[in-house]
Amino acid sequence: MMTRQRRANRVIFLAVAAGFVMLAVAALAVVWTFMRSQDYAELVSHTIEVEASVADLNRLVERIEASRRGYLLEGDSRFLEVFEKTAADIPVQIDRIAGLTADNPSQMERLDHFRDLTRQYLELLRNSIVDKQAGGTGVRGASLLDEEDITVVQELRDISDAMALEERRLLVAREAEANGSVYLSTAVAIAAAILLIVVAAGTIWATRRTLRALTSIGVQLQELNDDLESAVVERTSELQRANAEIQRFAYIVSHDLRSPLVNVMGFTAELDAAIKPLNELIDKAEEVAPEIVSEETKFAVREDLPEAIGFIRTSTEKMDRLINAILRLSREGRRVLAPEAVDMNALVEGIVDSLQHRIDELGVTVETEPVPTVVSDRLAVEQIVSNLVENAIKYLKRDRPGRITIRGKKASGRVLVEVEDNGRGIDPKDHERIFDLFRRSGSQDQPGEGIGLAHVRALAYRLGGTITCESVLDQGAIFRLSLPMALAPQQGVNT
Amino acid sequence: MSSHQTVNIVMIEDDEGHARLIEKNIRRAGVNNPIRHFLEGTGALQYLFDAPDGPARNGPALVLLDLNLPDMSGIDILQRMKAKDSPLKRTPVVVLTTTDDKVEIERCYDLGANVYITKPVNYETFAQAIRQLGLFLSVIQVPDPDMD
Repeated sequence: MMTRQRRANRVIFLAVAAGFVMLAVAALAVVWTFMRSQDYAELVSHTIEVEASVADLNRLVERIEASRRGYLLEGDSRFLEVFEKTAADIPVQIDRIAGLTADNPSQMERLDHFRDLTRQYLELLRNSIVDKQAGGTGVRGASLLDEEDITVVQELRDISDAMALEERRLLVAREAEANGSVYLSTAVAIAAAILLIVVAAGTIWATRRTLRALTSIGVQLQELNDDLESAVVERTSELQRANAEIQRFAYIVSHDLRSPLVNVMGFTAELDAAIKPLNELIDKAEEVAPEIVSEETKFAVREDLPEAIGFIRTSTEKMDRLINAILRLSREGRRVLAPEAVDMNALVEGIVDSLQHRIDELGVTVETEPVPTVVSDRLAVEQIVSNLVENAIKYLKRDRPGRITIRGKKASGRVLVEVEDNGRGIDPKDHERIFDLFRRSGSQDQPGEGIGLAHVRALAYRLGGTITCESVLDQGAIFRLSLPMALAPQQGVNT
Repeated sequence: MSSHQTVNIVMIEDDEGHARLIEKNIRRAGVNNPIRHFLEGTGALQYLFDAPDGPARNGPALVLLDLNLPDMSGIDILQRMKAKDSPLKRTPVVVLTTTDDKVEIERCYDLGANVYITKPVNYETFAQAIRQLGLFLSVIQVPDPDMD
């Protein structure tokens, strides 16, 4: 899906780029065509200019011939003036044409030939004029139409015709060439335009398709998001249900366990009560008829029975405490938390006050540092902290004066509460174990069932917090409670 | 206690041990009224409402009721007894159970329970509580059932 999309994007990008290239090509073709036609116009005017110049040259040649002829016939010196003037003009005109056709070697060749011929012709004409001036006819042959004359003139005409023809031919060739390139560039422009249209259409189509795909992806994303949210809600409610189920289970079990326990304890008490008359009976029998009282009977009534009853009693009492602990935990789990702003300093102070008697008795130094206010369930927080402080007092090391520090700080949206002591510490291997129900660490010289920290951890979890322990044996311990700054109000998970 | 008729004590308790202990301690308190014991709710309801010698038809009674019964909740029995048109709506009911759930206690009193006692696990306390209940039973006045 992703790679396909990426490929499509690349194709669209390339198509748009190609479109712009096409546009540039079309523009270039148009410019080129325009320049070409400009060139062509110049060429045409050039050819026309050359033609006109050649025609002028012809006219000059004819004029010089006419003026000579006039002079020869009339002997008027005005003809001679015209002749000289024209004779001076002809090389100028030839140079002009040479300037125009400098790029064309064949024309130049013809022009050179023309120039030579003109010189030769002028020579001839001059000779005839000189002859006339000297008193001759100025004509070698019978008429003015001297053979040599005619040949040269004819040749001159041929050359000038050839030059004009050449220019025309060049023009035609250049025209064809220009037309060809115009056709080519037009074709290129049209092809580029068609390509541009195709690319534009393709791009529009692809873009629309991509946009549509994007929209559908957006819709899908929204749906997925909604799904996810509902999935989270579903999971949460499932978890809550499962949790409620466990709580109810614990509650029912501990309740149902209590019932037979009442019997065990009750009838144990009844047995205990029954020992008294039995004892009296044996005392009496020993007094009246000692032979009927065996040592065994005496031992059974005076030693075995009380001992057995004593064991049953302590065991059932212990079991009763354990059941009560489970009951308390499960009840704590069922309680609806009521978040409120808890002034932790006042709370800590209250806890220390309530334990002041024990603190004074053991000579413990308790230091309290400021703890940030937290929005949470007051009762739960109080139970946690008070449990931690109680433990700190309970597990001090006897051979050194106790010192307990309670401090707090804010850390990345959470409030950290630390209870540090210099007591007997906890073996690192027990750092997790101590939070388990009915598990304790170190020497069992203090009363307790191993419930406190399990309770603390359960409470901390319910408040969205964590509790950890850092300790080295004999070096004291630090218990760290991390709570969210504000506990979100919850719906009741009562069942 | 009613002068002309003895008050029957109806004990609805699914645990025979508990029943025995309760009976023993009531007797120790000097209460000698007859005690009828039922292990489950169905039989108890039948006796309470329909039996010819039951409290609905015959004489005043006092009910000791456990809430955790195998076939129904003690609350159902309480509800039936304290219903508006029940002949036993004035019969005192002492709820005697292991549950000390606040909600449960409130519910029982709302339904018209007269006394709610949680069975203490500690036997000494339990025995004492029952003996005190016995003393209480020996002095309370119990009305005759409604015969309408």
